[in-house]
Amino acid sequence: MKLIPAIAVCLVTTFTGEPNTQASRHFTFVPLAEAAAAKLGDLTPFRSIAVDVAGLIDKGDLAAAKARIKDLETKWDEAEAGLKPRAAADWHMVDKAIDRALEALRAGTPDAAKCKQAITDLLTIMDSVAKA
Amino acid sequence: MLNKVPEVTAIFWAIKILSTTVGETGADYLAVHVGLGASLTAICLTGLLVAALLTQLRRRAYVPWIYWLTVVLVSIVGTQLTDLLTDKLDISLYISTAAFACALAATFALWFSVERTLSIHSIVTTRRELFYWTAILFTFALGTAAGDLSAEALGLGFQLGVVAFSALIAAVAVSYHFGANPVLTFWLAYILTRPLGASLGDLLSQSREYGGIGLGTIQTSIGFLSIIVGLVAWVTFEGDGARRAGPAQ
Repeated sequence: MKLIPAIAVCLVTTFTGEPNTQASRHFTFVPLAEAAAAKLGDLTPFRSIAVDVAGLIDKGDLAAAKARIKDLETKWDEAEAGLKPRAAADWHMVDKAIDRALEALRAGTPDAAKCKQAITDLLTIMDSVAKA
Repeated sequence: MLNKVPEVTAIFWAIKILSTTVGETGADYLAVHVGLGASLTAICLTGLLVAALLTQLRRRAYVPWIYWLTVVLVSIVGTQLTDLLTDKLDISLYISTAAFACALAATFALWFSVERTLSIHSIVTTRRELFYWTAILFTFALGTAAGDLSAEALGLGFQLGVVAFSALIAAVAVSYHFGANPVLTFWLAYILTRPLGASLGDLLSQSREYGGIGLGTIQTSIGFLSIIVGLVAWVTFEGDGARRAGPAQ
């Protein structure tokens, strides 16, 4: 049976791993407390794309704004696993705001005023989260 | 009809964990990078899953590549089911975790009341096979919801996630070794390998800035997919096919 060596490994890792779980459980509360102060950390790379998008909307180039906000979507999505555990509530707030901006720019006939409003809201939320 | 499922070996668990990661990153890749959007991705992949499942159901015996293709697709669709409830319908992870746990329990109750067994080793009728795949779909949905819930409620990042879920799986393996119910421990491990696979994938793919290895989702997915293909090829030509002829239990 191939299971025997697998179980043996599991046994060893459990006996050595059990104190680790205990440790990690205490451990999680430390980053939790820190997260309350540091929150999501540096959102500058995401914010600068949003600023680009806002600039393109101001110029009236909604097609370019739509293309540029995809970079934000991709970058934000790729960082999800790294960012979210730092402050889940904040992450969801920014995520929803990004969704609303994506939706506005990807509408069948995008409305410049709505796009502008959505991206302004997004920047406001990013700033409020960064300050917290 | 011959037995339609593989022997539960170390290779079985390795492919299961890797397919979980590919399930998560693959769906993400289609939705965001390819730009299909979440809804279209979900529709396309559900269609593919139905096609794979029909192929699997129509075979008279276990064919590794069809079985594992179905698992990978169930993994993707199960993950999307949870994401759909959480992101689109704003349903709390506490509720979806509880709901999927109930759905899974109901599946087992119905399975047992009809078949008088929950054996995962003798899936020899189409009805049993449908129970088996329904249970697997719900374990992926539950594993996703419970994993996300523990990440959010405990602030559990992927690094601690790998340690915590490995330890839980090891605990299940030990209790199995000391005589705990084999069917129960199998499904517990099956649920837990979902968040373990996700954490493992995140650990390899996330940038160093966030404490990952920095391979990126594309390299990680291609790497894992290659290992899956290699392992499935191995079991096809070398592995458990010959020993699987009779029901193991």
